[in-house]
Amino acid sequence: MNLYLLGPELSLIGLAFLVILVDLATHNKNVVAALAGIGLVVPAAWAVSLWGQTASSFYGALVVDSYSIFFKLLFIAAAALVILMSVQYSKRFAPYQGEYYAVILLATAGMMFMASTQELISIYISLELASISLYVLASFLKDAKSSEAGIKYLLLGAVSSAVLLYGMALLYGATGSTKLNEIAQAIQESMQRDQGAVLPAIVLGAIFMAGGFGFKIAAVPFQMWAPDVYEGAPTPITGFLTGASKAAGFAVILRVFFVALGNQAPLPVDWPALFAVLSALTMTVGNLSAIPQANIKRMLAYSSIAHAGFILVGVAAFSSQGVGGVAYYLLGYMFTSMGAFAAIVAISERLGSDQIADYSGLARRAPLLALILAICLISLIGLPPTVGFVAKIYVFWAALQQGLLWLVLFGVLNSVISAYYYLRVVKAMYLGAPASEEPLPVSRTLVVALAVAVIAVLAIGIFPQPWLDFGTGAAIVLIP
Amino acid sequence: MSDPVLVVVFYLISAITVVAALGVVLTRNIVYAAVFLVGTFAGVAGIFVLLNADFLAAVQLLVYAGAIAILIIFAIMMTRDTRKGSRSNEQRWPAFIMAVLMLAVLLGGISQTIWPVSVLAPLETTTEKLGKLLLNEYILPFEVVSVLLVAAMIGAIVISRED
Amino acid sequence: MTIGLGHFLTLGAVLFCIGLYGVLAKRNAIVILMAIELMFNAINVTMVAFSRYITPNMLTGQVFAIFIITVAAAEAAVGLGIILCLYRNRETVDAEQFNLMKW
Repeated sequence: MNLYLLGPELSLIGLAFLVILVDLATHNKNVVAALAGIGLVVPAAWAVSLWGQTASSFYGALVVDSYSIFFKLLFIAAAALVILMSVQYSKRFAPYQGEYYAVILLATAGMMFMASTQELISIYISLELASISLYVLASFLKDAKSSEAGIKYLLLGAVSSAVLLYGMALLYGATGSTKLNEIAQAIQESMQRDQGAVLPAIVLGAIFMAGGFGFKIAAVPFQMWAPDVYEGAPTPITGFLTGASKAAGFAVILRVFFVALGNQAPLPVDWPALFAVLSALTMTVGNLSAIPQANIKRMLAYSSIAHAGFILVGVAAFSSQGVGGVAYYLLGYMFTSMGAFAAIVAISERLGSDQIADYSGLARRAPLLALILAICLISLIGLPPTVGFVAKIYVFWAALQQGLLWLVLFGVLNSVISAYYYLRVVKAMYLGAPASEEPLPVSRTLVVALAVAVIAVLAIGIFPQPWLDFGTGAAIVLIP
Repeated sequence: MSDPVLVVVFYLISAITVVAALGVVLTRNIVYAAVFLVGTFAGVAGIFVLLNADFLAAVQLLVYAGAIAILIIFAIMMTRDTRKGSRSNEQRWPAFIMAVLMLAVLLGGISQTIWPVSVLAPLETTTEKLGKLLLNEYILPFEVVSVLLVAAMIGAIVISRED
Repeated sequence: MTIGLGHFLTLGAVLFCIGLYGVLAKRNAIVILMAIELMFNAINVTMVAFSRYITPNMLTGQVFAIFIITVAAAEAAVGLGIILCLYRNRETVDAEQFNLMKW
């Protein structure tokens, strides 16, 4: 057992408990937020110090490799942005701010474990640590909408966990192991023994597991929870769900499918075709449902479903380039959606509304805020010079190389459709008549969150190479 | 297991468990549903005994039939929403069809698979071995689940407190 | 007549589908939670059956089942907490407006 390898997670959990303790001692809750935000430096630095290593510990349950470090840093960055977004917002649940930050940190720890384990029991437990924390966070406002969001998320999340567990049970029964690499070996052996035939239980188990993870990333047909939950949850948490929770889901899917289920030649099941169909369905359903939405949180919820579809294009490519593209896409999408939700927090703080109609003329009342939101929306469409553009090009290119031309055409068509509803918001902000001329001030912490997000969106988009290398470095762990 | 007594016991417990489970989802009285649920939990504990999982059978009774069932009954009483009872929504038939289809798929998959059944005899007592496994091979998930319980505890207190 | 792995797996599958029916067809959020507990119990039966027949002296499935029981308890506690909160806001836990299949 090497505790040093567990450092990022351990220090993060320690930070969460420290936040609860300090919360008891002080009445100035900004101190608690500052501690939670600045304290994230420790796990981040620890994770960086582990970069380049490939090691496993705790009887193979914990693996530290470039892939897991990539995602750990992504989750820590997302947590830092959520905390920055929450400093003002969390006054709404005043007595529980310490608990709020602590649960955010625990959810982050759960996601970090998800990215760095290759054993089914640990995957399940870390997934549940992240999920249960997020159920709590979604219902933190304790009003009718928020608690309804929480209960929907919990009930559907529990059903999806049940489906996932049944899949894990079947896989364990058919292979006799819960370790991903042993499962891969057992599948290979059974295929050799039966002349290439796959045990039906393995196919069934894999499909059930894909369904359970599909819920996490809100892929069709398990997307129905997303709009209600995203709309009802506190806005910073909505950003966290789209940016971090989705990335955690993808981190696990990629590891399970590349290490355990897609490691054989020939593949036991045509996974690329399965993911391609899921991808096409997900982006189309997400985009078409986003068009009529009047509430911007709800619109971005459907947009995040559509983006899960775009990211699945990279999974369907089933190559190291595809996985690198997925990692880069997730990084870019995290900053983009966090930036957009930070802008929404800033706007709704003053306007008290999330309706797109109320955004009319915003460019005159808050020019910088409108510009940042517009840049994030442009990145969501996938236009240069933002990260969304490079990310889409990269996953589409990876798919093209595997001969998935139809899927790429589908994706391009969907991007064009999506431009319509994103630009509607931009049009309202820049061409609509403002309800009043009164300027909208933005709190200082939100300015920091907005600045970090928008600089990242532009910088990762204009200088993509180091970030692509970062993503590819993570990907080659799974597919050399 | 070919001992005729055990065969009878298996079918008896299975029948009780399935009937109680059907009771949970079919009865219109929510308090009865909770009582049926306790019946299912107890039946599953019996199945665990048949599967040589003595420790797990005890845990099942303590945690499920004890803690979770009591928690649910408390929630039923505190929400006082029992007048309307446990009604079904208008999608009873689609739900029924989906459940039957799912059962067909599962039973098909289970019966078509040749399971790699081991010829070894099961362990007589499991408690000691389980304790060692939890604190050695499964120490990481064991520690993570303790963090999970903290998160759930904080969450349940914050959310359900009246203020 | 011999009772084997298949019998236990069948029992697990039947319980799982009964739970699934309850989740899809019921209105009361507490009853939906009960149906979910049925599904978790079904999985535990399956896990322990595999543990007994596939890996009889490794107990992997039993360890898995212990973790599932723990998580199910935590999930039930949080779920019932949210249900109480919902009840305070709406005076009902009837899930008419969150009809699960319509979503």
